[in-house]
Amino acid sequence: MAAAPDSVLEAFERSIIPLLDDAYTLARHLLRDEHDAQDVVQEAYLRAWRHYGGFRGGDARAWLLTIVRNCCYTWRRSARPEQVAVAYDDEAHGADEDEQLAADARVLAESDRAELELALAQLPREFREVIVLREIERLSYQEIGRVMGTPIGTVMSRLARARKRLQQALGIGAREAS
Amino acid sequence: MSCAVTRDHLSAYVDSELPPEQASEVARHLVSCAECASEYEGILETVSRLQEGLVPYRAPDVLRARIRAAIREEQAGSEPVARRSRYVPWRAIAAAVVIAVVSSGVTFVATGRRAAEPAVAEEVLASHIRSLMPAHLTDVSSNNQHNVKPWFNGRLDFSPSVPRLDDAGFPLLGGRVDYVHGRPVAVVVYGRRQHVINVFSWPAPGRDVGLSQESRNGYTLMHWRRDGVEHWVVSDVAVPDLRQFVALLEQGDAASGRTTPETAR
Repeated sequence: MAAAPDSVLEAFERSIIPLLDDAYTLARHLLRDEHDAQDVVQEAYLRAWRHYGGFRGGDARAWLLTIVRNCCYTWRRSARPEQVAVAYDDEAHGADEDEQLAADARVLAESDRAELELALAQLPREFREVIVLREIERLSYQEIGRVMGTPIGTVMSRLARARKRLQQALGIGAREAS
Repeated sequence: MSCAVTRDHLSAYVDSELPPEQASEVARHLVSCAECASEYEGILETVSRLQEGLVPYRAPDVLRARIRAAIREEQAGSEPVARRSRYVPWRAIAAAVVIAVVSSGVTFVATGRRAAEPAVAEEVLASHIRSLMPAHLTDVSSNNQHNVKPWFNGRLDFSPSVPRLDDAGFPLLGGRVDYVHGRPVAVVVYGRRQHVINVFSWPAPGRDVGLSQESRNGYTLMHWRRDGVEHWVVSDVAVPDLRQFVALLEQGDAASGRTTPETAR
């Protein structure tokens, strides 16, 4: 591959790099691990960069999130060699991590977020995915269908079921027990 | 529209994703059916709680830096080979030797420019960035120097020093063999919180070269040569931390027996 001209790099920097939080958020929820999410997002961005020439406008976020999602799925299949993960996680940042988690927990406890994230984390992945794409990323059904590679009807029913599960987990509208 | 059909459509109705005809049918049904209306209220409340409470994560700055660096690296790597191989190392090596300040202990050559050989710096940085990709960091993964050091035997014609620096907050992560400057080199990998420090070394004849430092793409590179061994350290940890690390590395080096070329091979 020939080096892309600077104008392409600038366009990528302007349109795709600012979507990093969105990409990271999807990966965090799909993989439920901070470090895996970082690795996968980096890989997804490199892939996005390589295919950026083929991206002809349209919604950049849906396009990027499709790549992130696919990387998350391949990542799960291949996974990181266990030895590296163990050595890295245990040795590199054991103590700092606990500190960080404690700090995060304090912040989370003040809000509704902890409860919501816990409920979300317990859903199967295809439900988590559709919830993140809709409630956080705020994509349209059509865009969600494109990202997940499913018809809109599937988006609709999956989202409805995922919401129902969360509604029950959060104890909303308990009178609707039937 | 029946209750069953209405309920199937409520979630999409909340999102205004139903075709207009279906949407007005749902609306008509909700006016006349208290149970479905209550179901609708429940979904509405769920959705608004989710949308308000679930907020995006903020990606760590280091990830942003890693991505930018990886893309630049890929850009550089895809340039025509002829353009890159024009760099002849000897002139720069000579310059580095002239610049070098040889003294006891660690001497910094303050520099915003490249004090050492540019093509090597580029290769070392490329190797560092590659090592951050999933599963590229280490060939041997261990926090025990007595596992890592022997691992290099038989793979290289020299033995790198692998001091233990856990107590100072630089745990050993492992090692790998990489290919830099036209030869296999030893890479010993240390950690610092969530960051990675790659320590490159290989035998190189010539006079000692004092420590120099440069930054590229958000990474800090440090280079020195001592007793016939070339050293490069690359990381994105804060510069003071990295200096401390290098000082400890040199001390550990002196204490645990120097990196020595094995003449017997």
